[in-house]
Amino acid sequence: MAFGALCRLVLAAALWLAAVVVPGLAAERVVSLNLCTDQLLVLLADRTQIASVSFLAADPDLSYVADRIDGIPLNHGALEEILPLSPDLVLAGAFAARPAVRLLQSRAIPVIDLPLADDFATIAEQTRTVAEAIGQVERGEELVAEMTAILADARAANAQGADRTALAYQANGFTAGSDTLTDAVLSEAGYRNAAAEAGLAGYGFLPLERLVARPPDVLIAPATLPGRPSLAEALLVHPALAALDDRVDRLEIPSALLACGGPFTAQAVAALAAVQP
Amino acid sequence: MTGRAEIPYVWLLTGLAGLVVAAFVLSLSVGPAPVGLGTLLSAHDGPLGETAAVIFFEIRLPRALLGLAIGASLGLAGAALQGLLRNPLAEPGIIGISGCAALGAVAVFYSGLAVTYPMALPLGGLSGALLAVLLLYGLAGRDTGVTTLILAGIALSALAGALTALALSLSPNPFALTEIVFWLLGSLADRSMVHVALALPFILVGCALLFAAGRGLDGLSLGEETARSLGIGIGRLGLLVVLGTALAVGASVAVSGAIGFVGLVVPHLIRPLVGHRPARLLLPSALGGAALLLVADSLVRLIGSGQEMKLGVVTALLGAPFFLALILSYRRRVL
Repeated sequence: MAFGALCRLVLAAALWLAAVVVPGLAAERVVSLNLCTDQLLVLLADRTQIASVSFLAADPDLSYVADRIDGIPLNHGALEEILPLSPDLVLAGAFAARPAVRLLQSRAIPVIDLPLADDFATIAEQTRTVAEAIGQVERGEELVAEMTAILADARAANAQGADRTALAYQANGFTAGSDTLTDAVLSEAGYRNAAAEAGLAGYGFLPLERLVARPPDVLIAPATLPGRPSLAEALLVHPALAALDDRVDRLEIPSALLACGGPFTAQAVAALAAVQP
Repeated sequence: MTGRAEIPYVWLLTGLAGLVVAAFVLSLSVGPAPVGLGTLLSAHDGPLGETAAVIFFEIRLPRALLGLAIGASLGLAGAALQGLLRNPLAEPGIIGISGCAALGAVAVFYSGLAVTYPMALPLGGLSGALLAVLLLYGLAGRDTGVTTLILAGIALSALAGALTALALSLSPNPFALTEIVFWLLGSLADRSMVHVALALPFILVGCALLFAAGRGLDGLSLGEETARSLGIGIGRLGLLVVLGTALAVGASVAVSGAIGFVGLVVPHLIRPLVGHRPARLLLPSALGGAALLLVADSLVRLIGSGQEMKLGVVTALLGAPFFLALILSYRRRVL
């Protein structure tokens, strides 16, 4: 039958394609141009698969994997650094190194473009996407399962459903309103986002006075200045915030957990869920 | 150039003091949180009263106090410097004193020294300012022309600005370099009682020294010979003004950044009202400076949204055209 023949032909074609493409999918020289994809790559890949990650991946304030970089070449998103590595796969973020990404694509180097993850479903999806592309599906599933388990524990810890607000306050009064990764972290941990309730959508600045006027139950902000300080961070040790101490639980969450959405972001949820009213 | 009639000195002082009080109340009443003086007075115990108290005593009061003290310092220092150097264009910002004070403060703050020893912050500003005044006084003080001082001030400002940028670039802190805006344009946003406690003692001593220079400045306005014959020690007078300016301006800049033009605009507006006697110019200039800075600092909170404008933007918008007009009128008189 003509239909059966067609089916066989399609199947054969599919098998041939699979045979050709699948080994190619297990990329061997992967370059990442973006802090967020850097971290997924380091968590998922064998060391030998990683040709380069961005310089931000080595910054312990921003990167969860900073202590695992040892020896991986760092790039700054410049094509001159990337081409000599002759990558067979490039990972890029929505905002990173656009000119380089366009040129790579024009040279037929495969590029995976990942947008910013601002919820845990997207984090799981991106983890699987990268895992598949570098032939580490199993490790990807492990990471996702680990993350799901931490989130489930956090939900159980807050089973009584305490109705509390939280606010993440950073240098200069920078904070995260609705539709942000921080917002997702807060709601997973069972909190309402005080910045979103103050009317902030996306990221923005919240004046100190407005924070004090309607203080959250939990304030996520470092309480000490770094050794080499800035005025931006000096805001976080303002006496007006200290004056709230008897009404507000203050908590510091390592900034690397919130800088990018990754499986490790679940640890921020766990830390928040552990705060006792 | 005269036109305006002199008004009785006491009336002038009373009027200016009233202006300062009104500006102080305005400064206490303006802010992003919907809290006014009325809220504080009517709020009783409980969370609302407590919150209003924190906003008032920890955020707005230090801001208003600093506006008052720093505005007064800048107005007073401008008047005293113009008297000592007998130069109508002398002003802490224009001749580079504020810039050098900012450099000193930047050096101690971003190195972390001021975190360990908070007193290092005003001392850093003070050292920078002192170095600048000594340099200017030695280089272009006394009887050189108006332009020598201004040129020396331009050179000093440029040098201090460059070194400030360099110091900020060397800081490993990612926020440091963007904060050059604060140091060059000044701001009182989110200052606290800690800053008041650090700066105020130095500012008070500095202002006292500058006020003490009044009689000497009067004598000096008649010429150095006459002043000497009146028993005024020019050296001692110079020391009073140099130290007073360094203390008042140095400590001010250390907590607020360099706010320009206050010391230029205020004495010039007031001079025709007090009959060109330097001693009578001092107190009104301090009051006028305080009122101007308090109003400017209320304005920056009312204009725009998000991150507020820097204070130096407002004072420069007022002061720079004024500076140009002064240069024009000065040229007309000389030519």
